[in-house]
Amino acid sequence: MERALWIAKTGLDAQQNKLAVISNNLANVNTNAFKRDRAVFEDLLYQNLRQVGGSTSQSTELPTGKRLGTGVRIVATEKLHTQGNVIQTENQLDMAINGRGYFQILLPDGTTAYTRDGSFQTNSQGQVVTSSGYELQPAITIPSDAISVSIGQDGTFSSLLQGNPTPITLGNLQLADFVNPAGLQAIGENLYLETSSSSTATAGTPGQSGLGGLIQGSLESSNVNVVEELVNMIETQRAYEMNSKVISTADGMLRYISNNL
Amino acid sequence: MDRMLYIAMNGAKQTMTAQAITANNLANVSSTGFRADLAKMLSLPVSGTGFPSRVYSETENPDVDFQSGAIIPTGNELDVAISGDGWLTIQTPDGNEAYTRAGNLSISPQGGFLTTVNGLPLLGNGGPIAIPPYSKLEIASDGTISILPVGQEPGTLSVIDRIRLVNPAKADLFKGTDGLFRHRNNETAIPNINVTLVGGALESSNVNAVASMVDMITQARSFEMQVKMMKMADENDSTSARLMQMS
Repeated sequence: MERALWIAKTGLDAQQNKLAVISNNLANVNTNAFKRDRAVFEDLLYQNLRQVGGSTSQSTELPTGKRLGTGVRIVATEKLHTQGNVIQTENQLDMAINGRGYFQILLPDGTTAYTRDGSFQTNSQGQVVTSSGYELQPAITIPSDAISVSIGQDGTFSSLLQGNPTPITLGNLQLADFVNPAGLQAIGENLYLETSSSSTATAGTPGQSGLGGLIQGSLESSNVNVVEELVNMIETQRAYEMNSKVISTADGMLRYISNNL
Repeated sequence: MDRMLYIAMNGAKQTMTAQAITANNLANVSSTGFRADLAKMLSLPVSGTGFPSRVYSETENPDVDFQSGAIIPTGNELDVAISGDGWLTIQTPDGNEAYTRAGNLSISPQGGFLTTVNGLPLLGNGGPIAIPPYSKLEIASDGTISILPVGQEPGTLSVIDRIRLVNPAKADLFKGTDGLFRHRNNETAIPNINVTLVGGALESSNVNAVASMVDMITQARSFEMQVKMMKMADENDSTSARLMQMS
């Protein structure tokens, strides 16, 4: 049957997926430390119907060929790990990473996940946990009689206890870093898992050896640019409409021939 | 049978092929660095004994539209767009060179090479470009890649390599079946210092959506005309058959 129908179908599919990516970005415009996705388009294989340069006789060759494309596909959705804005919250357990690095989170199944969402709380035992209740690694416990908690730029947790004028050190937070953060696998809940593409995590002290420093009382906002996403949405919608126009035109051609012959 | 019927049928068939080219251009209206295919009709007269009335047509795509697409800023440090003419050089799995304008680069898990989005290594002046762990990466307009290695003081930028930018004659390039461009004679293009890059940006597809829509309508109408001719051939035949009928 007509090729144009199937080619336009690949265009519709790809644009629809792109719209899904855009709407997910827009839905997460207020998610802490959300990293936006980008759909990457690529042309599908070409069919060579007449090879350019093929011989037409012993001494002559075809100056031009006939090569039909077969449409488009989304080859990847990339996460863009650019820094979001730092928003001051004045909450003493909120942390933003100013630069590279990920907090290490212990999942209930024992594996380590990584996040840049620094909105931490304490659980009933005083342990520092994420909003979902997963423990921060290395584990830090805040005593029940603590008056205040300070987090240094290098990840040192210290606390002032009741009736004791000298602060005590609770622990040192370490951040993880990856060679290729774009290769991390997003699993939801603002968490990422390491993959063979991201390379293995190397832990280090915040603010040293290329890792970003911590800012207490601040959170990193989503890096979604609303205006850019809206422009992308308009572009996607128009491209979708054009591809559906191709389908209706191809359909019209086929209808015409079957009605008139 | 009537020759007219076959000529009209050939016209309709070739118009459908041209429609496929237009549909492919429109499907790739969002593909990064895509170059539109051009469709052209070629007339093929059939000579022989008698009056040469038969001229068949054939759709060809003689070339690719080499105009530049729009440059879209993305702010991503691994995105590059070429301003004006020129190509990025990549290595195909068979070890040969191919050229592309899609500058959404990434770093491969094995060896940390700079690759295109489908994993083919980008070539620098010294072959594939290995990127050591960095905290900041800059791609200059002449293709020089400099990084701030992890754990180093700012100001200790080190130059890694230079992206090989080439600009072979357009007549020597053709689009392969994988959408990458290649040299007709399998020659290696020499680096060209006049090709400039824009960092943190991507080049959009150069498909002109309006022109493609107009092409599509023209082709649909041309198809209908061919079908009309087939219908006419049918009517002519049935009329002449009626003439011969004994009433």
